[in-house]
Amino acid sequence: MAALLEVEGLIKSFGSVRAVNQASFTVQHNSITALIGPNGSGKTTLFNLITGYLPPDQGRVRFAGRDITGVDAGRLYRRGLSRTFQQARVFPQLTVQENLTVAAGYSWGQLFGRRMSKADRQRVGQLLEEFRMAHVADLFASELSYGQRKLLEFAAVLMSSPSLILLDEPTAGVNPVMIETMEHHIRDRYAAGITFLIVEHDMNFVMRLCDPVIVLDQGREIFAGTPSDVQSNPLVLDAYLGG
Amino acid sequence: MTAARYLGPAKGIAFFAILASLPSFNIAHWVLNIAVFTLMYAVMSSSWNLVGGFAGYPSLGHAAFFGIGAYGTALWFQHHAITSGYEPFELLPLIGILAALLGLPVAMIAMRTRSDVFAIVTITLLFVTQTLAFNLRSLTHGAQGLSIAVAPFSARTYERPFYYVLLLLLALAMGISLGAMRSKLGLSLAAVRADEDKARGIGVRTFGVKLLSFSISVGLTAMVGGIWAYYEGFIYPQFAIDPLVTIAIVLMTFLGGRATLWGPVLGAFILETAQQTLAYSLGGSQFYLIAYAMVFLLVMLLMPRGIVPSIQAGLRRRRRKAAVDAAGSQGNAADTKDRGVRSTLSTVKGSA
Repeated sequence: MAALLEVEGLIKSFGSVRAVNQASFTVQHNSITALIGPNGSGKTTLFNLITGYLPPDQGRVRFAGRDITGVDAGRLYRRGLSRTFQQARVFPQLTVQENLTVAAGYSWGQLFGRRMSKADRQRVGQLLEEFRMAHVADLFASELSYGQRKLLEFAAVLMSSPSLILLDEPTAGVNPVMIETMEHHIRDRYAAGITFLIVEHDMNFVMRLCDPVIVLDQGREIFAGTPSDVQSNPLVLDAYLGG
Repeated sequence: MTAARYLGPAKGIAFFAILASLPSFNIAHWVLNIAVFTLMYAVMSSSWNLVGGFAGYPSLGHAAFFGIGAYGTALWFQHHAITSGYEPFELLPLIGILAALLGLPVAMIAMRTRSDVFAIVTITLLFVTQTLAFNLRSLTHGAQGLSIAVAPFSARTYERPFYYVLLLLLALAMGISLGAMRSKLGLSLAAVRADEDKARGIGVRTFGVKLLSFSISVGLTAMVGGIWAYYEGFIYPQFAIDPLVTIAIVLMTFLGGRATLWGPVLGAFILETAQQTLAYSLGGSQFYLIAYAMVFLLVMLLMPRGIVPSIQAGLRRRRRKAAVDAAGSQGNAADTKDRGVRSTLSTVKGSA
């Protein structure tokens, strides 16, 4: 069976800077794959290319066997490819419930239905229960703590029943308790069959949770393997320590 | 809770009932004339709010569509007779639909840009339309303008048909706004306003809802233009397509509160009545503009987000405080502390 996500020779330049340079890797079905690398190695740009936020200059992306290069982000989301952002992007002036409802990826016809239908409330209620956020359901997202916003953004992308979720630094700027909560939810969803691709700087988190680990440096992958292999690989050490 | 549920509809019914009964009090013509203009601006602010408020796209080109409605109506009646006096009103739906359709390609191009760039692109559209009105002489008669036959209404109740049609249009505009707010369309627009890229990435049909809101918004604006042309009898390019109209609509919506149902209407009622009354009482001089600006500056200074949102935030804070106090009296200390912190947080945010 082919991999869930195949990235092949992606190139993206911003002016004279080549942010992503011939990156190729695969993400297998039902894995928690990590994407690590020093600052500026092109991780977030790669996320933007895969999820349709930026068109690549060259190269192909295949998701679930279909070529999705340059397909619009919204369409990919509805097909089951979701992502979160580094800075926890939620809609501050919408309530927590509404933040989840708006992410359900509804059709044109549903656009004229109620803002929050009974079915929406039920579905959102279950999710909030699972994330232990039911008590803040009616608060505006602007009133949440940063960690709660990260959790909310994660919960929101689950509304579309995705098969692959790309998480961009899920633990950055979040307290240790919240990191554990986040890890717990990722494991839960992984057990339910969802595949993850995670960009992360917290190496403890990566080593605990992810397998395999892909290492990116200067816009291309330099290594892919198990967490223990990565830790002992000289190429990786070089990249991080500036060899 | 039940009382609160009926408060909204009751407010709406009372508002429209009072306005509908207004002309039967034998009010002076000049007052009713102000009322007609106030309603025009209320409809336009309410429509502008669909795209400028809900979607967060500050269009400065709405006066172009006002002018298109005005010229559309005037041109039609160059070739058609007005007998009963109601023909121009019967034409309005067609004007609205055509302007809305015309709005689609405009939105398709203009809405690829955002915020300040979008404002500039749309104001350019306004000037292009005005230039066309000046220069397509064979069609618009250029600076000479166009005239429409005077309505054959009795002088005593001349304003009433205009007034009631505008009131109907206001009900339509507010009905559409309310429908949008209560549906997923409004939810999608709110997401677009907050963070369009994020919204696109979670499957919100950003492009579609933007187009829809722009199209409906300019359609309604063009209908007001049609009524205005008929009411005035003469139209000239510089008044039919007037940047001041655009600016007035925007100011009214900002004053009352963007993305609210009542804000734009309230803003129009305050600013337009103030402007017209001051213009009457201070005479032909331009002093009224200074007074008008003072009103605006004062409110913006005290309530930067507009009147309605400021009041709503205040009420919300009070409800929170009441909830905290109630929880406190039950002796649930931990919970109270938690909520207390949160309500302080929202207070800080609210005043920021």
